[in-house]
Amino acid sequence: MCTDKVETSAHIVSQVAEELYLKCIRCGKCLSVCPIYRETRIETMSPRGKVALYRAVGEDDLPEISPVYASKFYTCLMCEACREVCPSGVELDVIMNQVRADLAHCGLLPDSLQRLSDIIVSAGNISDEDNARRLGWTENMASKPVGLDYDGQVEMVYFVGCVSSLFPASYHIPQSLAGILEKAGVSYALMGGEERCCGYPLLLNGESELALEMAQHNVEAARVTGAPQVVMSCPSCYHMWKHTYPEILGDDVLDGLEILHETEMLAGLARAGRLRFKPWPVTVTYHDSCDLGRKSDIFDAPREVLRAIPELELVEMADHRAHSLCCGGGGNLETYNRELAQALPLRRLRQAEEAGASTIVVSCQQCKRTLAGAARREKIRIRVIDLAEVVAEQIEEEPHA
Amino acid sequence: MLDPKIVAELESIVGEQYTLTTPEDLVAYSYDATFTSAKPDLIVLPSNTQQVSEVLKVANREVIPVVARGMGSGLAAGSIPFGGGIVMALTRMDRLLEIDRDNMMATAEAGIIASELAAAVAREGYLYPPDATSDSYSTLGGNIACNAGGARCLKYGITGHYVMALEVVLADGRIMRLGGKATKNVTGYDLVHLIVGSEGTLAVVTEATVRFIAAPETERMAQAFFPKLADAGLAINAVLASGANPSMIEIMDETAIKSVEEFLHMGLPLDIEAILLIQTDGDEADATRGIEIAAEICRQKGANQVQVATTAQERKDMWLARGSISGSLGRIRPNKLGEDVTVPHSAIPEMIARIKEISIKHNLPIVIFGHAGDGNLHPNILFDKRDPEESHRVEAAVGDLFQASVGVGGSLSGEHGVGVLKKPYLELALGPVAVEMQKRIKQAWDPNNILNPGKIFD
Repeated sequence: MCTDKVETSAHIVSQVAEELYLKCIRCGKCLSVCPIYRETRIETMSPRGKVALYRAVGEDDLPEISPVYASKFYTCLMCEACREVCPSGVELDVIMNQVRADLAHCGLLPDSLQRLSDIIVSAGNISDEDNARRLGWTENMASKPVGLDYDGQVEMVYFVGCVSSLFPASYHIPQSLAGILEKAGVSYALMGGEERCCGYPLLLNGESELALEMAQHNVEAARVTGAPQVVMSCPSCYHMWKHTYPEILGDDVLDGLEILHETEMLAGLARAGRLRFKPWPVTVTYHDSCDLGRKSDIFDAPREVLRAIPELELVEMADHRAHSLCCGGGGNLETYNRELAQALPLRRLRQAEEAGASTIVVSCQQCKRTLAGAARREKIRIRVIDLAEVVAEQIEEEPHA
Repeated sequence: MLDPKIVAELESIVGEQYTLTTPEDLVAYSYDATFTSAKPDLIVLPSNTQQVSEVLKVANREVIPVVARGMGSGLAAGSIPFGGGIVMALTRMDRLLEIDRDNMMATAEAGIIASELAAAVAREGYLYPPDATSDSYSTLGGNIACNAGGARCLKYGITGHYVMALEVVLADGRIMRLGGKATKNVTGYDLVHLIVGSEGTLAVVTEATVRFIAAPETERMAQAFFPKLADAGLAINAVLASGANPSMIEIMDETAIKSVEEFLHMGLPLDIEAILLIQTDGDEADATRGIEIAAEICRQKGANQVQVATTAQERKDMWLARGSISGSLGRIRPNKLGEDVTVPHSAIPEMIARIKEISIKHNLPIVIFGHAGDGNLHPNILFDKRDPEESHRVEAAVGDLFQASVGVGGSLSGEHGVGVLKKPYLELALGPVAVEMQKRIKQAWDPNNILNPGKIFD
């Protein structure tokens, strides 16, 4: 921790890497895709503006590292749409992660985000609940999920994630997935109170050391179940496990464990003939979440599942696949600046309307919360539903003989 | 630093939230897409014409420079506040006000993103032809201020050809409407087209009415790979003379190809000196006939491979490479000076040859790409501005470049504007009398010289 302004500036200046900013020739292309710039139309909030600030620190052109400076770097969804379109290859994600780590190191983490970190560290989840309450979603189900009392060798462990475990409005997602697994005859285990936050919000806060502790615990707890696969509904948990855990814990940390997102698992089951669907004559569009799509390169699996449903028409929004528009739920922005975060999903809902869809299928409980919340507030008649919920609704009760 | 009383007055006009003064904001509004920068004293983001007017009244009274800008994607340093003062970003004034199908005209506020205007027109089944490569990160107001071009200009003309009416605010804050929806209008001087291309030096554009046209039924695109750059230059003229009636002919030289291939990994060949990208449009028969004629000419003129896109996605992919060149050049050197000299069709091959000579003479990489069909080339000089000796050579090379263009009957700028980067060469291109007359116009419109001072000329 830096003790004063002088030390803070010295530390942050020393971290600036010229090769990260020199590539930016300021063409402005990132402005066309940044959800925050598109909403605010203020350059200081844009990706190009952030690179310019980073550069100004490195070139001694900003008098001090102030809370204002910090605020610009927390006003970001970390959606990486900018990096995707940058013709010059500026690694904006690297810059953002580095600056957030530097700011946290110097004690400039804003109060709201500090509170989030403190809660995760003490409670093991993002909502400050008793971590043993993680199975609350199972309580009002018609029958107890078999994963609660798994016995012996199971095919997979289901890593539910904080939002689905602890936010009642999201309970239906894990309930649906558990139901699908049982109908498809897949054996699985639930970790209950042994599951902790995947560490992603800590990483977004620039606190990778704290994230590492969460990661270590989760991998050990998953191994205890003996399952060869870990499946998750949350794209952020998935991205953390699949890409970040090996980075921070070592390449071999996942040896013998296959990490799957629910969309991949569902596509696999559909392909293997273990799922059969009733017709669903609806025009739907699929919203690619940033962590699953752009950052993890999973675009086809969810679409494959949707195309397997008879009579369903799949249409694409203007921004889709690698150029998908973030729902507004990323980057801890909702914690840092709720008003701005809530203004962002409207553009996405309009894109769905323009595509002619009556339903937006997501595969992320955070995207569902964000988009459905905005639809409710703005009185837009469009349904937002998770792929697991779609499958649970459309699955044939009795497989054909 | 502005007097705190003036800052307070500006805050009372546009609101505190939209009067930006932090050191961070001054950095973010100090640049455009060139290598230069200078910080303003303050930034205002007005939300309507009345606020623009009130801000200008204060600035004119206090004689404070006002630099109007959109998204800062300019390539001539035309929106950089070299003299400090107020930057007026019009980006929040981005409403589409009307699509008038009967008159085939659209009206929007100046800050609307150009591609969003074009998309709104396209949703109605029409075409707004101006298509600056930066159209998804530049504003309508900025396009008008610089009279932006684009690839389709070859067939359809530039932004100014589509501007019918403007709402502008004068230096003293008076609001004036110019032009209208009548398609012929010779009532007095054509002030609409005086403002078009005036780079924010005569008035601030706050609203514009532009016309649109019937969309062509279909488009066809081909890319031709040339082992020799000079052959590509000759093929351009042959295609233009052929009756293929292309809507665009774009060129990329070998450095441009390498740079963009590194970004996109499209499998472009790296052992050739040039690619020509040719588009035709019209009805099915016309577009197909045109692209076949063009493809055959390219083969005759030395292309070793010609690919004709068969789907809209293939056309989009072909264009993606061309549209990404400028931004991708940062991979090669940290700075670039992108010019937009435009020469008569007949001089295209000669101009290409002269650019290559200048590159060798000054020992500087110069990438050639651009809208070759209308003679508008984008020689981009790549350098590192931290090296003073190299920067000095860049200046010399630019001088030679402009001499060469003017020498073959061309212009300094086809679509970026003069800004400050081309200012030293204005007299070379226009002669002393024309420069003097332009200065008198400026004097009449902006006697206190507060509107984007020091741009185009001193």
